[in-house]
Amino acid sequence: MLERKQNCLQESRGQGLLGRDREAGGYAGATMTVTGQAESQPPILTRLRVGRARSPASAQARRDTRTGLVLVTPALAFVIIFALFPLGFGVYISLTNWPLIGAYHFIGLANYQSLLHNSVFLQSIVFTLKYTGIVTIPIFVVGYALAVFVRANRPGTTVFRTLIFLPYIVGLVTESYMAVVELQPSSGSVNYVLSKAGLVSDTTAWLVHTGLAVTVICVLVVWFYSGFAMMLLMAGMQNIPQDIYESARVDGASWWAAERKLTFPLLRRWIALSLIISVVGSFLAFNQFFIMTDGGPGTSTVTVVMSIYDTAFPQMDVGLASAMSVVLVIVVGLITFVQFHYLQRDTD
Amino acid sequence: MSTVHSHQDSSVRTGTSGGPAARATRRSSSQPATISSGRSGRHAWYIAAGAAISVVFVVPLAWEVFRSLEPESAVSSAPTSQTFTHLTFANYQTLVSGQDDIIRNVMNSLIVAILTAAITSLIAVLAGYGFALFRFRGSGVAFGLVLLAFMIPFQAVLTPLFLELHFMHLLNSLIGLALFYTTFNLPVGVYVMRNSFRQIPGELVDAAKVDGASVTATLVSVLRPLILPGIATTALYAFLFSWTEFLGALSFVTNDRLFTLPVALSNAETGTYGAVNYGLLLAGSVIAMVPCIIVYVALQRYYVRGLVSGALKG
Repeated sequence: MLERKQNCLQESRGQGLLGRDREAGGYAGATMTVTGQAESQPPILTRLRVGRARSPASAQARRDTRTGLVLVTPALAFVIIFALFPLGFGVYISLTNWPLIGAYHFIGLANYQSLLHNSVFLQSIVFTLKYTGIVTIPIFVVGYALAVFVRANRPGTTVFRTLIFLPYIVGLVTESYMAVVELQPSSGSVNYVLSKAGLVSDTTAWLVHTGLAVTVICVLVVWFYSGFAMMLLMAGMQNIPQDIYESARVDGASWWAAERKLTFPLLRRWIALSLIISVVGSFLAFNQFFIMTDGGPGTSTVTVVMSIYDTAFPQMDVGLASAMSVVLVIVVGLITFVQFHYLQRDTD
Repeated sequence: MSTVHSHQDSSVRTGTSGGPAARATRRSSSQPATISSGRSGRHAWYIAAGAAISVVFVVPLAWEVFRSLEPESAVSSAPTSQTFTHLTFANYQTLVSGQDDIIRNVMNSLIVAILTAAITSLIAVLAGYGFALFRFRGSGVAFGLVLLAFMIPFQAVLTPLFLELHFMHLLNSLIGLALFYTTFNLPVGVYVMRNSFRQIPGELVDAAKVDGASVTATLVSVLRPLILPGIATTALYAFLFSWTEFLGALSFVTNDRLFTLPVALSNAETGTYGAVNYGLLLAGSVIAMVPCIIVYVALQRYYVRGLVSGALKG
C-alpha cells in the first residue's frame, strides 16, 4: 500500500515540478529529473551547468536540498524516535524475559512459544476477531445508508451531517462512561425504557453477562462509528462525476440501478478504505471494553490490546507483552494487506 | 489511489461541492409539471426523516447532560416522579470542590491537548513546507517514513514506548504525553500541510525568492495567510485526538495528580477515591464532552477535511 502511495506521490510531485519549471526556463526541470533518477551524477550536471554558465542554479539547488532537509528533520525525528524505533525495540524486547524492573536475558523465541499456550491471549484473539466480524457490517451498512441520505446539498443536510457525526467527535471513552451509568440494573435509563416497553426485566445486569455485554458494546460502537463511515463514504460519493448519472438517466436507468451499477462500483476504493479503517480500528479495540467490562466476566471479553496492557502493566512481563504486540502488528498488517489486495484487484 | 488524492480537497468541502447540488437541480427541472407542490412535499419528508435520524444520534448525548443535572440519589436509584423535576448543579459542585478535584485533571487534559496541537502544527508546517516546495534527494523516502508512522498502530508499540519514555524521563510527564500524541498526529498533519503548500501558486513563491526574501520570511509573511486553514485542520485534529485519548494516558501516567480527564474518570468509575458515585461520573463525562462539541461545531469545516485526508493516507 505504501509503495503505491509513494508512486502516486512521485507522479504528482513530478507534475508539480514540471509545471513550475516551465516558467523558470526549462533547464531546471531537466536538472531535477537527472538528480531524481540517478543519485550519483552530480559531476555531469556541474559540467553541463558550467558550460552554460548556470552555477547560480546549482547553488540554488544545493541550498534547496539543505533547507528542505532542515525543514523535514523535526518531523522525521519524532517519527523515528517515538514510532519506528519502538517498533524495532519491541521486537528486540520480545526476545528477552524483560521484567519492568531488573536485569534481563535473551531467551530466543520462548515468549512466542509460550504465547501458543497462553489461553487468555489466544482467547482474546478469537474474541477480538469475532467482535470485529460482528460490528463491521452494521457500521458499513448504516454508514452507507447515512451517506446516501446526506450526500446531496438539500436544505438541512449540513445540520444532519453535523448531528450524526457528534457521537464520533465526543469519543468512545466518554460515551462508555455514560453507558456504564445508564446500563446499571434498577437505576439506568436503558432498563427503565426497555422494561416499560416490556422487552427486558428492570433488573437486567447488562455488563456482567458476556452475551449481553457484547451486545450493548456492539450497539454503542455502531452508533459511535457510523457517522465516521458516513463522512468517508459521502466524500467518495461526492467525488463521482455527476454527468455519469445524467447519461444513465437518459438511458432510462432507475435510481436503484444507477446506485447499484454506478455508485457502488465507482466507490470501491472508498469502501475499501472505510472497511480497512473500521476493521483495523475494531481489532485494536480497548477503551470501551476496559471501561465497560474490564474484560469480564472472567476473561471472556478481553481484547488483544487489553491482554497486552494487562501483561505489560499489572503483570509486568514486558517481554511477553512485546511478543504479543509483534503478533498484533503482524495480524493488523495482514488484515490491511488482504483487504487492500482483494479490493484493489477488483478495481483494476 | 491517485485520483482519490487529486480530488480530495474539492470533495471534502462538503458545503460547497457543486456536483450533487447540480444534480438535484437538474432532476427537479426535468419534471416540469407540479414542481412546486411535489418538491416542497419531498423537502418536508426529507427534513422529517433527517430529524428522526439525528434524534437517534443526538438525544442520548443530550439526555446525559440532563441526567448529570439530577441529584446523585436520582442517578443511582430507580426513577420516580421527582426525577424529572428536581434539577441541580450538585454533581458539578461536588466535582470541583471535592477530593476528586477534577479541575486539576481538566487542566492536565487542556495542557496536553494544547501542547500537542501547537507542537504538531509547528512541525507539520515546517515539514509540509519542506516536502512541498523544496526538491531534495531522499525527500520521497522521508515522506514515506512519516506516513509509515500512520500504519503503526500506537497500541502495538505501547510497551517498548513505555520503556523508552522511562529511559528518557518522560513517564509521568505531561510533556512526554504530548510528544507521544504529536508523533501519532504528525502523519495527518504533514500530509495536510504538504497539500496546503502545494496549492499555493508557484509564482508567489518565486516572486518572494526574486525579491530576496529568506526562507523564513517567505513562510511567515507571504505564505502564512494561505496555509492558515491547513494549520487549523492540523491543530484541531491533534487537539481532539489528545483530548479523547485514553490508552496512552492510562499507561504512561501513573501519578494521579497528572491524570488527564478520561483517566481520572476511570478512577471515579471504579470508586478508587471511595464509593462509586454515578452522578459525579456523569457530570465528569459531560465536562469531557462539551469542549469537543464546541470546538467541533465552531470549526467542523476544518475537521472533516483532516479526517478524510487522514483516512486517505492509511
